[in-house]
Formats: sequence, structure tokens, C-alpha cells
Amino acid sequence: MTYSEGNRERSAVEFEGVGYALPDGRWIVRGLSLAVGGRETVVLVGRSGAGKTTALKLVNRLLDPSEGRVEVGGTSTQEWDPVALRRCTGWVIQEVGLFPHLSVRRNVGLVPELLGWERERIDARVHELLNLVGLPAVEFAARRPHQLSGGERQRVGVARALAADPPLLLLDEPFGALDPITRAEIQREFRDLVHRLGKAALFVTHDLREALALGDRVGVMAAGRLVAIEPAGRFLECEHPEARALAATLNGGAGRDG
Amino acid sequence: MGDLIRYLSANRGQVVSLFGEHLVLVGIAVGAAVAIGVPLGILATRDRRIEVGVLGVTNVLQTIPSLALFGFLIPVPLLGGIGASTAIVALTLYALLPIVRNTHAGIRGIEPALTEAARGMGMTDRQLLARVELPLAAGVIVAGIRIATVISIGIATIAAAIGAGGLGVYIFQGLAMVNDTVILAGAVPAALLALTADGILGWLARRLTPPGAPGARSATTAARPT
Amino acid sequence: MRSTHPTWRATAVGVALGIALAACGGGGPVVVASKNFVEQDILGELLAQELEATGVPVERRLHLGGTFVCHNALVEGEADVYVEYTGTAYTAILERTGTADPDSVLLVVESEYADRWDLAWGPPLGFENTFALVVRNADAESLELATISDLARVAPSMTAGFGPEFMAREDGYAGLARAYGFEFGDVRQLELGLMYRALEEGQIDVAVANSTDGQIAGLDLVVLRDDRQYFPPYQAAPVVRREILERHPAVWEVLVGLEGALDDVTMRELNHQVAVEGRDAAAVVRAWRESR
Repeated sequence: MTYSEGNRERSAVEFEGVGYALPDGRWIVRGLSLAVGGRETVVLVGRSGAGKTTALKLVNRLLDPSEGRVEVGGTSTQEWDPVALRRCTGWVIQEVGLFPHLSVRRNVGLVPELLGWERERIDARVHELLNLVGLPAVEFAARRPHQLSGGERQRVGVARALAADPPLLLLDEPFGALDPITRAEIQREFRDLVHRLGKAALFVTHDLREALALGDRVGVMAAGRLVAIEPAGRFLECEHPEARALAATLNGGAGRDG
Repeated sequence: MGDLIRYLSANRGQVVSLFGEHLVLVGIAVGAAVAIGVPLGILATRDRRIEVGVLGVTNVLQTIPSLALFGFLIPVPLLGGIGASTAIVALTLYALLPIVRNTHAGIRGIEPALTEAARGMGMTDRQLLARVELPLAAGVIVAGIRIATVISIGIATIAAAIGAGGLGVYIFQGLAMVNDTVILAGAVPAALLALTADGILGWLARRLTPPGAPGARSATTAARPT
Repeated sequence: MRSTHPTWRATAVGVALGIALAACGGGGPVVVASKNFVEQDILGELLAQELEATGVPVERRLHLGGTFVCHNALVEGEADVYVEYTGTAYTAILERTGTADPDSVLLVVESEYADRWDLAWGPPLGFENTFALVVRNADAESLELATISDLARVAPSMTAGFGPEFMAREDGYAGLARAYGFEFGDVRQLELGLMYRALEEGQIDVAVANSTDGQIAGLDLVVLRDDRQYFPPYQAAPVVRREILERHPAVWEVLVGLEGALDDVTMRELNHQVAVEGRDAAAVVRAWRESR
């Protein structure tokens, strides 16, 4: 395992020998050591049940490690107040979870509101972000979630995660429910956006194609362990059996659930 | 029908007074049931033991025949005795189940993804409750209040047996005198009151249900094709 | 089929006896009815036992229903005799008003009942069961209350409890208030069953009850005298179908034999034994008859 040096002095997230076990004793994650650089996008791929989502939840303390140590911004998660930690971290999930009783504007502005920003500052920020994700504020700010298409909702989800300008984004299969065309489009936009804004991102997906498109580095998780981690460009040369198995899906099973 | 109208207009002062008494009984009881029942319903969603306990007790309360419950409460010191206070206590107990159960169901019925998103974003428990859970469950909760109100209006007619007044006064008089007109003079206004309350609260419940909330027709989190 | 089977034998004997008795009595048992409260249970039982003692066959249909139910039963021929109160017959059944004189009331009901329905009145049993305004003994002493007129002084500060019928009837509370010229400060309508308890516990100060209720003595209550004679006389007397008198001459003798047999105090005592002490009405009646 190599630690990337990253572009910032301090890693955004660092896992040191992290493990998570269920109350009945089963280990979902074991011996995880990984650092995500300050401007880096690391994508974790693997089959269902490999522990990817769990690893993600260990970062913003939706779960706490059974062994090892997770550091965010150089401080152990155990020393962070969970609520404060989560407000500094963008969180995007597959179902998006936009609140149906709130307009797009209020959904996006939620974390700034929790942080106590003034109304004008929030409105300006919302305006900025909606335009950034390709949803003209004039048109979309006042709409309700049920009036949006799947792709539009996901974009709002991303805007919401970025609203308080967190240094780190955590994404759990965010584009999984979109149709292939919208998906490809949103992947491109996301990659550009994240790089432009200089964010760190830890991204989870079961789709290797997506991983290769979005990640600076791609890590493979199997049975709770990180078994391989390579820069995206060199992934297909990786020898590890699990990596090869995933790579095979690009050609063999390609296009089916892309 | 003609007899009824004549009776009602000949006695309109008393009709209005009894109607007012009825409203007061129901109003205070439902108000108290909301004040007690909604927090209980919320607590029941947080703790399994409380859930079992609260839902169990309110279920049992509902099975007690109303006249019997009035009878049980009369000897109780402070709360009991003949008159409005006993009636209000009994009515409150009956109104609890629909309100507690609907509060619990309304919050439980919220898409887990919404709760997860809220927590992941950094909402405290109180913020989650105030900004997400209660607004989304409001429609279902009001539906429970609607049921409780209609039930209370009906049961409140029995309050007249224990000296608490209300439209039941006419019903009992009519029964004693074998006079249908007098019975209807009590029963019809009560029925109309129930229908009105049902309509208003039903409308309110629908208004408070945003699309995607439990009980609404469309869901926001199922992705739709562009 | 064993012909010595006990049930069959009993049935055969019963049928034979029935036929014999019917032949004796000249056709069918006398049906004794009563209204649906304790005092009436006792009076119905009394009539039944007295008739049986003289050999008249009796069928009991006690606790049949209210005033109108019993009256209609006699008119339709489904019952033959029950104890009514002259005042009730006068105001509720004949729907008359006025007059407080017991003799005139009795005369009127006798002639009307005979003309309209061929029903006869036996002589009064000796007591009256009238509406009674009752108060707690302690209040009667401290406020010096002996008659209903005495209430005028304190009525505005008192809470009264009345049953639905008393509240609904024109000759109930409405008439009382007019006759005596006062109203109570607060009036609650409640079921009769709760009346005594409410009075005892101080939740009401005045109640309207039956003057012969068993609870009155036991609960230290005072009946206020109706000094303006607002309530009509309610003398208890049996009402019987004329046809039965012709068929069973013994019946009239029994009714005459009961004239003046029960006074207010005795009736109240018997009511107490059944309503408050919880004893069986038939047993109480039997014991009392033996002691006469």
C-alpha cells in the first residue's frame, strides 16, 4: 500500500488500520489504511457488501470504528463533535434525500442555514451553486423536488453538499439511479466541478467505468479489505485478481448496468 | 323533520348553550390529547420499549366501553366526580390512541433516505424533528386528530349522563320521554358538528401533506427518467 | 324411551296440574306485571304471593318496563294487574293538570280508566311515592330547611341534580320553578343512578328522588315538604282488568285485603332491604308477609 502525497500538506481523510465490526462479531471493514489528499478524488469500487459504504460512514461518524483511527482534517473523528464534523463534510447519497416540503432553494441552503449564515449570504450562495451545477437559479430555485427529473435532483444534491463550501465530499453511489446518458453527462460535470473547486472527495461505486472516469486514484475493496489501490490511468495494469475481475466487466458485461 | 326544526327554533337559546358545552368538552379534550399524544408518539419512535408500552396502553383504553370508563372515573379524587372534568378526562383518554398512533406512523413512514440525508448533513436530533420529521408527518398527524375529534364528538354525548352537559342532554331526555324529536334535537346537531369537523380537518390534513411525504401520492426519491 | 325418565314424569305431572288449576280458576293464570324499579319489584312480588296464597294461579312478568309499557300491556290484555300511582295515571297517562286533592284524583282516574279501557282500581295500598326534593341532613339543619319554600332563600347558591325526565317534563323542574318562584344557581342533568352518590359527595346540594327510596334513611337525607302542593298525590294502588275480576273473584278480595297494608315508612324499609342491603325481593316480601 502506498500513501499518496496529495497536493495539500495535510490529507483530507486518513484511515489507519481501521476496522468495523457488527455487534454479532462480523467484520465489515478490516485493516483499512488509506489517505485521501486535499485535492484528490479517491474512488472505492467493489462488489456489494465489500464494505465501501461502511468505510464512507466511518468518515462522518455515522459509524464509529471498532479498531484503528480515522482522521479528518488531521484530527481523529473521535475528537470531533459529530454534528460539527458533518456540517464540514458534503454528503451525497444515491436516493439524494431532498426534502419534499422545501423548495430547491431551501434544500440547497440547508447547511448554511444550520450554520447560521444571514439570509442574503445564503441566497447568493444558492444562486451561485445552482448555476454551477447547470440548473439556472431563475428557473429552478423555486421549484419543489417532485417537479424535478432524476438528473436534476442529483445535481441539486451535489449543490446542497457544496453549499457550505466543505473541503471534503463523501459520495455513496450518487449517480446509480440515473439513466446512462444523464449519468455520463453528470459524471463529466462533476469531475470538472470538483477539480475546479479544489475539493477532496471520497467516492463509492460498484461501477468501474465510473470509477475510472472520476477518480484520481481507484481503490478496490473486497470482503472489508482494501486489496488494491492504483492511479486511475494505471488501474487496468493492476495484477490483483479482484481488480482483474472488475476490469473484465468493462468488456464482458459492459453497457448493461452502466 | 318539521317537528325537529320547530323544536330547535323554539328552544334555540338552550340548543346553542348545549352546543357550546359540547364544543368546550371536545375542544379541551382533543387539545389535551394533542399536547400529551404527539410527544408520546414522538418518543415512541425513538425507543422500542416506550413504543410497545404507549401503543399497548392506548389500545387497551380504546377497548373500554365509554360509559364504563365514565363510571370508573367518577370515584377518582380530584379528576373525578360528576360533571365536566370527569368527562374531559375520559374523552382525552379516548382521543389519545388515534393521535399517538398517527404521530408514530407519520414519523416512521418518512423515507429512511431523508432521515439519513438529514443526519449526514449535520442536523441535531432536535433539528431533525423540527425541520424534517414533524413537517413531513404533519398531514398524518392531523389525520389522527381528525379521527380523534370525530370520536370525541360522539362519545361526548354520553357525558350528559354524568352531569357534564352537552348535546347528550337532549338525547337522554328524549329517551326518558320516548320522544324522538327531542332525541334528534341532540343527535342531529352532534352529527352535523362531527361532519363539519371531519371535513375541515380532512382538508387541513391534505394541505399539510407535501408530495413525497408519507401518505402522499408521489415519491420524490424514486428517480424518474428525464 | 324409558317411561320412568325423571324429566318426562315431571312434565306429565306439570301438565296435569296446570290443567287442573286452570279448570279450577276458570281459564288461565293471572299475569302480574310491575315497572322497572326496586319498589315495583317488591309490589309485584307482593301481589303475586298474596294471590298464590289464595290458590289463584299466577304468572309473573315483573320489571316489564316503564309506566307506558305496563299500561299498554293491560290495555292489550298481555298483563292483568300491576301497581300504579294515581298521580302518574292522572298526569302522564290521562295528561291532565291541576288539582292536588288525593280523593278527586282517585275518582277521576277510576272513572276514566273504567270508561276508556275497562280497567278497575283496587283500594290504595296506604303509602304515597311522590317526587321528593332531598337535601343532606347537615344542610337542612344549618340552613333551616323543612319545606320546598324554605329553599327560596338559598336556591341561587345551590346546585341541583335532576334526571332527564324531570328536566324534560313541563310539570317537572319547569313547573316547580314556576310554582315556587325560584330557580337553582346551577342545574345538572344526570342519570338517576348517580343521584345519591353525587348528593352524598357534595357535588350536588339538592336532588329529586322518590319519596320512598331506601337510600333516604340510610344516607342521612331529609325530604323537604311540598308546602304549595305542587306535586299531585301519588297514591299507590293496583290497577286490574275487569275481565280478570269476573274470571277470578278471589282476586278482588286479595286487593281489598291489601288496603292500607303498607305505610310510607314500611315501604321505605322494604326498599332499603332490597336496594341497599341487596336482599332478594321475593324473600323480603315473604318475610314481611309472615310478620303481619
